[in-house]
Amino acid sequence: MIYKLSVPAIAEDIEEFRVLEWYGGVGTLFNSGDMIVELETHKAIIEMRAGQTGILRVIAVPDGAWCKIGVPLGLCSDTLDETLLDQAEAASDMLLEFEVA
Amino acid sequence: MPAPTLWKLKLCAMSSEKPRISQRLFYREAIVRALREKMTDDKRVFVLGQDVGAFGGAYREFDGLFAEFGPVRVRDTPVAEAAMIGIGVGAAAAGLRPVVSITYMDFLMLGLDPLVNYGAKLSYKTGGQLHAPVVIKTTAGAKGQGVAHSQCIEAWLMGVPGLKLVCPSNPEDAYGLMMTALEEQGPVVFVDHKKLFPIPGDVPVAPYRTPLGVAKIIRAGSDITIATHSYMTRIALQAAELLMRHDISCEIIDLRSLIPLDAELVTQSVARTKSLLTLEEGQVTCGVGAEVAARVQQLLGPVRVHRVGALPVPISSNPVLEAACIPSVHRLVDEVKFFMNIARPERPDPVIT
Repeated sequence: MIYKLSVPAIAEDIEEFRVLEWYGGVGTLFNSGDMIVELETHKAIIEMRAGQTGILRVIAVPDGAWCKIGVPLGLCSDTLDETLLDQAEAASDMLLEFEVA
Repeated sequence: MPAPTLWKLKLCAMSSEKPRISQRLFYREAIVRALREKMTDDKRVFVLGQDVGAFGGAYREFDGLFAEFGPVRVRDTPVAEAAMIGIGVGAAAAGLRPVVSITYMDFLMLGLDPLVNYGAKLSYKTGGQLHAPVVIKTTAGAKGQGVAHSQCIEAWLMGVPGLKLVCPSNPEDAYGLMMTALEEQGPVVFVDHKKLFPIPGDVPVAPYRTPLGVAKIIRAGSDITIATHSYMTRIALQAAELLMRHDISCEIIDLRSLIPLDAELVTQSVARTKSLLTLEEGQVTCGVGAEVAARVQQLLGPVRVHRVGALPVPISSNPVLEAACIPSVHRLVDEVKFFMNIARPERPDPVIT
């Protein structure tokens, strides 16, 4: 299955955030609890961690770029050979955990 | 592994690959960038305030300065606003360029005596021999913190000769106006807003100054002029979108600087639209809008004016009542429709009676 990585409204007033650093490139396997990417809001560093197993397939918003709440940052899949979707929004939501660093 | 060709997010990813003529910054980062550049260039500039040191400021708007410039130039103070502004004015008179951080604008009241009676008057009192080039940076606005941590009292300062007063609504102006403030001869009050801190914006990479007393048309329109400042610019822009559905075209002016006030730009706009609505988060009685309206009418003669601002009650810590008190997009839409004779709002005109 293809999963999208997107950030829900983690605080009421956040519209947009900065991607600080991806913890792995395309092809990296993330297990539940692994750090995927570090994000920066206006007042905090947020760690996005995997809540399930997945292989990173696409980084849509690279280190240092900005992303709006709800817009997919990238895609994961269960296996490396799955065909990616044309429309990121059609993918299922990856189980994710967010923690303030 | 190649990404799919129809990947919708490619534009987002590509945006970071554009030539970096501007950088996207949070509002707080624009402030800290200006401070860092001026502190590097001008050894007289230093910061004092509550939690501005290792903590980096209540809104992280001083982040990194303590590590870079050390405890002598980034000084934590006790909770003593009168003393902080007094020290700032005194240090400025002695030749330094202090930036005094008053966390909430409500607490500026405690420092009004040194600011108004000493800072603003110093060059007058000394026949121009002494000046007080101090910047008072403070945060206004309602965001869930109740009666004494929410107020927008910038209008109180507008009648003080010798003061300058700026209220930037976006990161670009926050940087440019802070740079200008740090080169002024006398005291400048720099008012930011709690709800602006989460909002990023593009800021030119090359250093620049935003001049005082120059307002900006942030949306062109033909039916009504809305003069506003700070966070309310965002409310006005959202309301203008909705009002398009009622065939009302709003011209929105971000005043940016309240002392000096660019009444000329507002007047030119009102000369075209024939209608002036002023919008502020503070009280309308003796408010920013009252002054804008008076100056426009002095320049242009009688014009239709409508003022919109907070209801005449203290701002509640109850979020429902807070939202009811300060102007919202929908209230502004109602007020504009009423003003343009399309509908009458349910609420009375919010003046103190």
